[in-house]
Amino acid sequence: MGFWLELAASGLITGGIYAVVAIGLNLQYGLMRIMNISHGEFLMLGAYLTWLAHTTFGVNPFALMPAVAAALFLLGLVVYRFCFYRIARTAPSVEVIEARSLLVGFGLMFLVQNVVYLAWGADLRGYSYLAEPVEIAGARFMANRLAVFAFAVAASLLLLALLRWTMIGKAVRAMMQSPTGAQLVGIDTGVLHPLVFGGGLALAGVAGGLLSMVYEISPSMGEPYTITALIVITLGGLGSVGGSLIGGFILGLVEAFGMHFTSPSLKMVLSYGVLVAVLLARPRGLFSR
Amino acid sequence: MSAREQLAATLACGAVLAAAPWLLSDFLLSLALSCLMYAALAVSWAMFCGPTHYLSLATSAFFGLGAYVTAWSLESLPYGVAVLAGGLIGVAFAALIGAAVLHLRGAYFAVITFGLGELTLHLITYTEKTYFHTAGRIISDAPDNAAIYWTVLVLTLGAVATAILVRASRLGLALRGIGADEERAQTLGVDTRRVKILAFALSAFFPGALGAAMAVRWTYIEPLSVFNPFIGFQTVLMAMLGGAHTLIGPIVSAVFFSLVSEFLRLRFPYVFLLLLGLLLIALILYLPGGLASLLRRRGRADA
Repeated sequence: MGFWLELAASGLITGGIYAVVAIGLNLQYGLMRIMNISHGEFLMLGAYLTWLAHTTFGVNPFALMPAVAAALFLLGLVVYRFCFYRIARTAPSVEVIEARSLLVGFGLMFLVQNVVYLAWGADLRGYSYLAEPVEIAGARFMANRLAVFAFAVAASLLLLALLRWTMIGKAVRAMMQSPTGAQLVGIDTGVLHPLVFGGGLALAGVAGGLLSMVYEISPSMGEPYTITALIVITLGGLGSVGGSLIGGFILGLVEAFGMHFTSPSLKMVLSYGVLVAVLLARPRGLFSR
Repeated sequence: MSAREQLAATLACGAVLAAAPWLLSDFLLSLALSCLMYAALAVSWAMFCGPTHYLSLATSAFFGLGAYVTAWSLESLPYGVAVLAGGLIGVAFAALIGAAVLHLRGAYFAVITFGLGELTLHLITYTEKTYFHTAGRIISDAPDNAAIYWTVLVLTLGAVATAILVRASRLGLALRGIGADEERAQTLGVDTRRVKILAFALSAFFPGALGAAMAVRWTYIEPLSVFNPFIGFQTVLMAMLGGAHTLIGPIVSAVFFSLVSEFLRLRFPYVFLLLLGLLLIALILYLPGGLASLLRRRGRADA
């Protein structure tokens, strides 16, 4: 019993992180058709910021999360203003926006990754935080993982609540449903787009900060998370934030149980298998109507 | 230029380039080889993706499969046959995935072609590890550099010639129609599904065959190096930066970027990629039609 609980919990814990990464990317795509392939690079930046501030000033990493989120939010505004704003304004069609933003994303990926390589080198970095076991119902967990999981779920739910019950959230949902309709009733894309883009990067940064508490970090850590995030938003449906949350948990569980029943070297085969299967059977996501 | 003139020009270039193994040093020959390889990859990518506006990230999957055909068969098959087989495997794989996913568009198509490539990579890694107990394979009797060069040259010329013929044919017209408005093309009697699968499979011959031809350049083959997604990304970037809807754009930009990356990458790896990133962003933002649109703009100013 304890064993299965541990397995399920480890799946849900990774799933929680996946959800935070994916929600940020999904907001950007759903709202602006920006397929930001460099999302994982900003996650990596968040991880490095957390690591740097924790090891130099000794601040509690959880207390750093708002600062990391704010820093990446501002960075997001800058990136949006200099790259994606121009694409959105000059591209003739949605398809062209997607293609160009994908390519600019590659550019950003090279740029950010190599700036970090130049600044801190290719070595693995890390610190130990709350690395002690906790026992719950006969199962043993690392305290830091539980804390990270709780924080990830809380952040995702907070975001869902914001989208559900605030004016900005309402505007974002309206814009996702019908961009033209939303503009007709007076929602300003000039304000909303940079705000949501920055918000997406802030989420990526927080996810990176959370990961740095559990795993070692390196400049190339971001890419796999970009891919996982793409898989998760495909599972949950492009543009559906709740879908991303559930999709993240599903992928985490599939990976945990799949690796247990087959072999750990099949982890990537499992995730890509899920992606391909979902895209073939239900290209609009598992929960689409 | 008419298609006939373009073919003649291609043939003339090929005749000149064929002399390279007698004239160039080993270093320059390998430089020429990588220029040719990327030119062929970019041209064959643009063959399908240029007119239809699809964004395929499957190039590294075709390339890697081709390379593994060589790795598995070079002991029993002659080099030329292995290259041909690599190309045919690329065609078969593309036809299979094309039939399954070509109804998806935009970001969905990009993501799934990338996912399928990675899926193949991990499946091959797993098969090799479980059934053959090996992480990679050593290629023992590789043909000499001149033979590899001529093979890749023939493939490059073949890719360019195919691209010219496709552009001039009904198939090319149908592809452009699909890119402009798929439903209208359907209404006008184009069997869009068949046309797309046919063109996608045809364009996959070259990356497959190139993978098989280039595999012998590595003495040690492992999935991560031959399925390297960077090969696919670079191809897409070169084709799009050159102007994917043109014939000459992808060739020029492939040669340019191969030269730049050979010279700078080894000396300043991080700075090079950083600058590449900046250049990429700047080009997409300020020259979205690709380098070819510069030429056209100048041509219009002259006229």
